[in-house]
Amino acid sequence: MNHYLRISPRLFALVPAAVAINLVMGAIVKELSLPVYLDTVGTVLVAVLVGFGGGALVGTISQLLIGLLTGYQSLPFVVIQWLLALLVAAATRRGGFASVWRTVAWGVACGLCCGAASAVIAYLLFRGATGGGVVWVTAALRVVGLPLPVAVAIGSGTTDVLDKGIVIVAVGTLLRALPRRILGRFPLAARAAAQ
Amino acid sequence: MTLARRAHPFTSGTVTLALIALALVLSSTRQTAALYIATIVIALSTGAGRGVRTGLVTVAPIWVLLFLLQGVLGDGARIAAPWGGTLSGPGLHWALSQGTRLAVIATASLAFASSFDPHRFLQAAIARRWSFGAAFLLVATLDAADRLGEQARQLREAQRARGLHVTGSLRTRAGALPALVFPLLLASMTEADDRALALETRGLMLRGPRTATDPPHDTAPDRIVRWLAFVAVLAGVIWRVRS
Repeated sequence: MNHYLRISPRLFALVPAAVAINLVMGAIVKELSLPVYLDTVGTVLVAVLVGFGGGALVGTISQLLIGLLTGYQSLPFVVIQWLLALLVAAATRRGGFASVWRTVAWGVACGLCCGAASAVIAYLLFRGATGGGVVWVTAALRVVGLPLPVAVAIGSGTTDVLDKGIVIVAVGTLLRALPRRILGRFPLAARAAAQ
Repeated sequence: MTLARRAHPFTSGTVTLALIALALVLSSTRQTAALYIATIVIALSTGAGRGVRTGLVTVAPIWVLLFLLQGVLGDGARIAAPWGGTLSGPGLHWALSQGTRLAVIATASLAFASSFDPHRFLQAAIARRWSFGAAFLLVATLDAADRLGEQARQLREAQRARGLHVTGSLRTRAGALPALVFPLLLASMTEADDRALALETRGLMLRGPRTATDPPHDTAPDRIVRWLAFVAVLAGVIWRVRS
């Protein structure tokens, strides 16, 4: 290990796997033509397992790679990854993964926060044309006659509530399904799942 | 071996970053369109033509969305469309500008990715005394993305063989998601756990300088190309500030 980046071997193994999960989830959703992204599963997973720092690192690398490989519109949305890592780390400490209903409630709350933030980014920087299924929702709302800011806000908001809700519920389910051998290595997540 | 693969890993990386920076710096549609053509020429002439094809496949759907949302449904003065009806003038202009900029970035990145050799990059990073942790993280991430992508493909085929439907109504497609996602997540978590043990026992955490056993040659043409890329970006920034 060098003098500049001091992270544990566990995080060294976990970060590439989580980034790969983010990238592959995005590809699976695209193949299924679903109006969600699910490209934050790895970020949420690492934020639950090791806290905000790990989640933010995974989110940053993922968004950089997604941005470079599919278009730079993704790059400013790195802020959403950080916000999500922060909210999920808070949810983990406050027992947000203790039961399915608490997980769903935190999922909706995270979705609302991230939806509001991504609507602002999508409108101010890209006038709503960010790519992905959400643009079709925005376009449909424009056809109905809604002004662009309203269409972008509704499109991004609803998509993000759904997207982040699914991601957080999926990670909560995974947390409960993980073998004790693995979960035991992450005290933060073990406590969150046992609460 | 193609020119892109023969070049020092930092050279292709620098050219890619320079093209991305220029795409963000240049303002007019003509300039970004010219840069897109230049990117295609560079990719094809260095043997990274696969990046051009995959770039086109990546950006084509976004071009359609940009045209629809800004050109057809956009606000501002309307202009006559060649096929009848009208289009938003400012919207169309914005869509073209964004579309070409996006194409440059996707094509340059994908061309770089198609010729990227993780081993050579890691060796070059060690030889330059770069942060080994950061270089390893980048290489391990790209490697993991490839492996997990392949696992996802195999899993999809296996689940389809077991009767899972991945096409059809929204409900059917959404219903297929857990069967595709959960096995993959569990597998990657187990693999990450095993890998952590392997990294620890193989001395990843050792301190001190490392030895590059097979560093790639950094030739004079490589250095010239990197300097030219730097000068091009600098010129672009100066031109943008002055105009």
